[in-house]
Amino acid sequence: MTHETVPSAEGPHDLLMVVRDLTRQVRIAQRRTWFPLLVLAAITLLAIPVYRYAPNPRVIGTCRTLPGGASICTGVNAWAYAYWLVAAIVAYAVIAAFYIRRSRERGIGTPIRPYVVAGVILAVVSAAATAWLAFHPMAPLTPGRIHVSTAAWLLHGLATPLTAIGLALLVLARVERSPALLAYGLVYVAVVLAQGYRVVHSHSPWYFLPYLLVPAALLLAGSAGFGLIRPDAERSAR
Amino acid sequence: MTDHPANGLDDVVHQRVRLGILAVAHEARTVEFGFLQTTLQLTAGNLGQHLTVLEKAEMVRIEKGYEGKRPRTWVTLTPAGQTALRDEIAHLKQLIHQVEQAESGDGQAVTAG
Repeated sequence: MTHETVPSAEGPHDLLMVVRDLTRQVRIAQRRTWFPLLVLAAITLLAIPVYRYAPNPRVIGTCRTLPGGASICTGVNAWAYAYWLVAAIVAYAVIAAFYIRRSRERGIGTPIRPYVVAGVILAVVSAAATAWLAFHPMAPLTPGRIHVSTAAWLLHGLATPLTAIGLALLVLARVERSPALLAYGLVYVAVVLAQGYRVVHSHSPWYFLPYLLVPAALLLAGSAGFGLIRPDAERSAR
Repeated sequence: MTDHPANGLDDVVHQRVRLGILAVAHEARTVEFGFLQTTLQLTAGNLGQHLTVLEKAEMVRIEKGYEGKRPRTWVTLTPAGQTALRDEIAHLKQLIHQVEQAESGDGQAVTAG
């Protein structure tokens, strides 16, 4: 070949190094981790007024009548329930649109589809599991101190929309081949699982705040961290 | 007698720029001409010639279009290109393995002698 500027006779080590280096450059150029974390933090924070001011806090669920005529119920806030489903779908649509737009600007394909599909599926599964658990409570419907088994804790924890967000982040870590995001996602899932299903004895209308503020703060910190601490190649790719 | 891995090397792919194009296109799924040019640090003419070689070998598919008023050329890896890239990497690894084995064999011979 007469048009080659690069000599073709190169050692296998050099050629493999070229492949590895280019692969790394493409992966870094495709990463936009800060954006999904920012959007997910936003929908978590927007859930606060829904939890606080939405009417009819218990619309779907099951009740048991106690001796004496009183009843004890489990249920879910239908507004919050609908909010998470709609918010998650809108969030993943926004994330997909952002990745596609940036991908066109940069002139490089995006691997975002598996993340968006997984995110929407997990949001739907989480909503279905939440509804099922409202009608089939795993904790006994008895007054007084409630004992929550490990299985119930885990199942309820996995069914929360915040855990669904975390599990989808693990898919994003796989898609972006980012060990840092994988570690972050595992920490996030561990945190939301730990606080996912707890018995809260409170009469405050803001009792849910830690449940939303802790994950939102984690997501915001993650977004800031991934946005600010980027390799030079990623900075120049923006 | 086993076939030497160098015999399996494809002349079209066994070249730094074209191997680089295939590697980028594989990782990116689809890649624009400008990104390839910047990443591989080539002139437009040079990159175009390499792409023509790969397109003739049916390893990439080239599509021209517009993004707004801006002309764009998109490069996508074909199944043949994916196979060629995979085979080339496998052959390169085999070559390295054989060289390393030969070197360690020489070392042992020297020690034994």
